[in-house]
Amino acid sequence: MKKILTIKKTVTIIAICFGMCTPILINGCVESKAVAAKSGAQLWAENCQRCHNTPSPTSFSSEQWKTIGMHMQTRAMITNNEKNKIVEFLQSTSHN
Amino acid sequence: MKLNKVIPFLLLSTIFNTRAGNLFAQDAPAAVISSASESQFMVAGLTTFGFVNQTTTNTLGGVKSTDKYNSLGDADRFEFSPMLLWRHGDNLLLEFEPSFDGTNIGVNWADIAYFVSPGLIIKGGYLVLPFGTYTKRLAAGWINKLASDPIGVDIAGTDFGIEVEGGLPLGNMKWSYDISLTNGMQLDNYGVVSGVGISAINNGKTVCGRLALLPFPNSSLEIGVSGLYGAIATPQGATFSNTNATDTKGPMASMYAIDLNYVKNFNPIQLNIKGQYNVSMVTKQNYLNPVDSTQTYSFTNTTSAAFAQISLRPVQSKNRVLKNLELAFRYSNYMTPQNSTWGQNYTEEDVALDYWLSWRTVLKIAYENINSDGTSSVAISGVQGSTTVSRMIIQFSTEF
Repeated sequence: MKKILTIKKTVTIIAICFGMCTPILINGCVESKAVAAKSGAQLWAENCQRCHNTPSPTSFSSEQWKTIGMHMQTRAMITNNEKNKIVEFLQSTSHN
Repeated sequence: MKLNKVIPFLLLSTIFNTRAGNLFAQDAPAAVISSASESQFMVAGLTTFGFVNQTTTNTLGGVKSTDKYNSLGDADRFEFSPMLLWRHGDNLLLEFEPSFDGTNIGVNWADIAYFVSPGLIIKGGYLVLPFGTYTKRLAAGWINKLASDPIGVDIAGTDFGIEVEGGLPLGNMKWSYDISLTNGMQLDNYGVVSGVGISAINNGKTVCGRLALLPFPNSSLEIGVSGLYGAIATPQGATFSNTNATDTKGPMASMYAIDLNYVKNFNPIQLNIKGQYNVSMVTKQNYLNPVDSTQTYSFTNTTSAAFAQISLRPVQSKNRVLKNLELAFRYSNYMTPQNSTWGQNYTEEDVALDYWLSWRTVLKIAYENINSDGTSSVAISGVQGSTTVSRMIIQFSTEF
């Protein structure tokens, strides 16, 4: 039981620290120039294959890609910039 | 200080601070997405079906029995799951995935997501818990390289609650966080943990979270750690009790997981390595002996599950057939508590040859070999025999 109480205290402390630090972490996180310079096509190639094959841009319409981009942001935890660039790339080549 | 009071406060303060910050490093995106309509509804989804030929050999007390089975509908791996996505503007997304498994219609997830800021998403509803990565990202048939799911990795499952998550840059690296607060689990009279559902029957809540780091700029490697902690509900009619008679608290659960994902192209081969290890612990209880109800028994209620898989695909090959072939292998281990009524040591080796008909449609030919040795206590009607299963599967899976 002592061990469990220790775990509970530890989890509580971590949760408090994380909660307090999250705004700083979120606001303070920046990407390097090299990462910022990546194109949507490159990010599409690098990130989608982490879970599944890279999707064909023609599989969905431009509006659908926007919705799927949001869905993938909640699943794969890609950053907002990555999502925006990948969706823009897919929209630009989706033909509809 | 109770976790179920601390966490909502932290969530609210995080949202307030983040919205008020106006210091978003990501607020200057290089890309601006066109927004033709305010609302968009779409239906996607997946289906998986196939054929299975299976031989099961049970050995109990030196006596062997064999059972053969084949079915054109592979009942254990059949799935038809339309996925409904409804986007409203740039900040709201409803996600709903019902699923028919051949017998029942269930729901994989049903939630609403609010995109608060570039690095913060809040979700509410019926959520896949952020514990490891397999259940949330890799379980779909058209994503899974093998024909079956690795046993035991979905122990945290799906639950009702709220979740905050986000992916963020970190120089050349990236990291992500994903934290949920949910109703939690319950314990049955044999020590098996399961989801409590929509009605919390105790006032405790379960906190679950995952932190991940992608250390390389090309996102090829992801390492994640997960934890879950919470009070376990005691259903009406429960016959177990705390082993410490002076402790009036109900059972508690703690779970931990580590996961790894590495995908890299070494021309012409794409190397794909995935793995996860998770362990679940429930505080010790006295359970009623099913053989003699005047007696109780106890055991260390620890369950572990692990899998490691590797797949190779010559994606850069100039041969059209060869470039669509993928060879995958997975080893899984699942150990349930020794000296319980359900103790077993389960190992599984799977191998599959996949042919990709498109980026989201695959035909798999798989062979699976499973060995399971009972580790339960005979004194409480447990079975200590062993089971060997070998099966051949032909499986088709697509996303639409």
